[in-house]
Amino acid sequence: MIEANPSDEAAPPTPRRSRKGDWMGLVYVLPAIALVVVFFLVPLGMTVWMSVHDWPLMGNPRWIGLDNYQRLWGDGSFWQALGFTVLYTLAATVGLMSVAFALALMVQSEGRATAFYRTAYFLPVVTGFASASLLWAWLSNVDSGLFSPAAQMLGMTERRVNILAEFTPAFWSVTIMVIWKMAGFFMVIIMSGLQAIPADYQEAARIDGAGWFQRFRWITLPLVRQPFALALILCVAGSMLAFDQFYIILNGGPSNQTVTAVYKIFNESFVSFRLGYGAALSVVLLLILLALSVIQLRLLREKGADK
Amino acid sequence: MNRMGGTAREPAGLSLKRVHKSYGAHEVLKDISLDIQGGEFVVFVGPSGCGKSTLLRLIAGLEDITAGDVYISDTDVTERDPSDRGIAMVFQTYALYPHMTVAENMGFGLRAARRPRTEIEQKVRQAAEVLRLTDYLDRRPGQLSGGQRQRVAIGRAIVRDPDVFLFDEPLSNLDAELRVGMRIEIARLHQELRNTMIYVTHDQTEAMTLADRIVVLRDGRIEQIGTPSQLYDDPDNVFVAGFIGSPKMNFFKAVVQGADRLRLGETELPCPRTDAAIAGPVILGLRPEDLRVAGPEEPGFPMEVKFSEFLGGTTYVYGEIPGGTGCTVELERSRQARPGTILTLTADIADMRLFDVEGMRIR
Repeated sequence: MIEANPSDEAAPPTPRRSRKGDWMGLVYVLPAIALVVVFFLVPLGMTVWMSVHDWPLMGNPRWIGLDNYQRLWGDGSFWQALGFTVLYTLAATVGLMSVAFALALMVQSEGRATAFYRTAYFLPVVTGFASASLLWAWLSNVDSGLFSPAAQMLGMTERRVNILAEFTPAFWSVTIMVIWKMAGFFMVIIMSGLQAIPADYQEAARIDGAGWFQRFRWITLPLVRQPFALALILCVAGSMLAFDQFYIILNGGPSNQTVTAVYKIFNESFVSFRLGYGAALSVVLLLILLALSVIQLRLLREKGADK
Repeated sequence: MNRMGGTAREPAGLSLKRVHKSYGAHEVLKDISLDIQGGEFVVFVGPSGCGKSTLLRLIAGLEDITAGDVYISDTDVTERDPSDRGIAMVFQTYALYPHMTVAENMGFGLRAARRPRTEIEQKVRQAAEVLRLTDYLDRRPGQLSGGQRQRVAIGRAIVRDPDVFLFDEPLSNLDAELRVGMRIEIARLHQELRNTMIYVTHDQTEAMTLADRIVVLRDGRIEQIGTPSQLYDDPDNVFVAGFIGSPKMNFFKAVVQGADRLRLGETELPCPRTDAAIAGPVILGLRPEDLRVAGPEEPGFPMEVKFSEFLGGTTYVYGEIPGGTGCTVELERSRQARPGTILTLTADIADMRLFDVEGMRIR
């Protein structure tokens, strides 16, 4: 008589581990580990090491413990730069995510013209930040640019106005440039999420009587949460590290009001040559970014849902 | 009120009038006209690419119609949005929202219609009881088995209390055993709800077991409409005769000689038609279960056995007749047929179906 195998009901057997497999696995991840060590962990360790020293460009570094961090605490210009960076991050993130989501919704379906529009929206992404900033600086120039004459022609201003001379128009000018340049990148990330949503969900919801907005809110948004979280984290991290555009277009002006955190680090390290202090600022900025990323991941984590 | 809390109204009928559907130059549905009575269970069946799912999606309003009209309860719904047609649809992939619980999935339509929460909860609970899903209401689709997911999809349709249920190959993602169980479940639901149901499948067994009437489609056209027994016993053409029934009907090239003799190879058989007008080449259709081993004095044709399948209650024997045409015969379980054996087969005249060389039935 054949009896049922009692192990059928029991827990599955522990998979046999092969020692050779372990070694092979290590070999496969070695290049990635090497890259992380050489280009992240070692520089990070060196930065932390520098931050506890008085490290001039010339001469020997001097151990000063946490003095740089103490100094940073009372450095109003750093907190002002950080405050401005947070303001810029908020504006750029809200703008970028909204525009990118709208673009992704427009180009997600397969159509004859969509390939053209996808390319067109993505094209600014391949331009370097420095090139895009130079282009924008030229467009914003009061004499030779296009924005001032255009504003005058449209009756928005009576005469040509230097939009880079005052904080608010200068700030928005740079923010709009960043949205123009980067929206295509985040559009691609969000679009990949939208395309992964089976058409059946939308059709079932249509039959169930859900209108466009209800479908967007109840079906599309929750299901695109993961790629959206990725886009958001990349966007916040990128914005918190903003430098080139404010350096090239505004040179930190007007009146040093657009100096970002990285710009401040640059000034301390490579203008004033206080490399140790610059390193301490970098470490603090890294910790802030880390905290922000963890908070975003926690907020956007899916609760038990699986696709 | 029925058990689902729906109103006890007359089941809605559905009419398709000269429906066409094209994608560019490619015509996928050609001049489809069909009347479905209220409360009927109609199955669209046909091979892949015949247009059956497209026809269902046209009825649902998920595809635009190229020409023709769709009527539900005598109302022209051709231009109406899917949500305004009084239909509910069960998808092949279930289409359950993965981020919502079973209860939220089932109540989605009512939530979209902004019904009061108490009403949604009550209707979801009633449908869950009927579908034995009460214990799973707080789970998400990913935590359910395939059969449970399918029941949730059906529950979502039931909660909307539609005039017409549309099923798009709802069982094709289930394993064989579950499929049989769910088939019985759907038949039970139809008996209980008495709503009009339209069901798409490529599985003729599902069609035969569920349908009041079957619509057989091929290349975007209706080949035949009828009850399962009509299609099985009285097919209009070779396609329907071959598609309905498993194993499929045997087809042999034959010649009608004189008025009442049928020549199949070297064998002369009695002809089911005594009409000199049909003399000439024909196709003889014989179902495997209608073939039997001929008695000593009976005329019969030889079949060389290639292999056989023992299925418990019955045995299917596969072989070839002279000329190389394949032939399947169903024998009683006690009968042995070893490969290489020659069986002499015959059939009753009442079980013979004749088709012309174009494949159309000669009645």
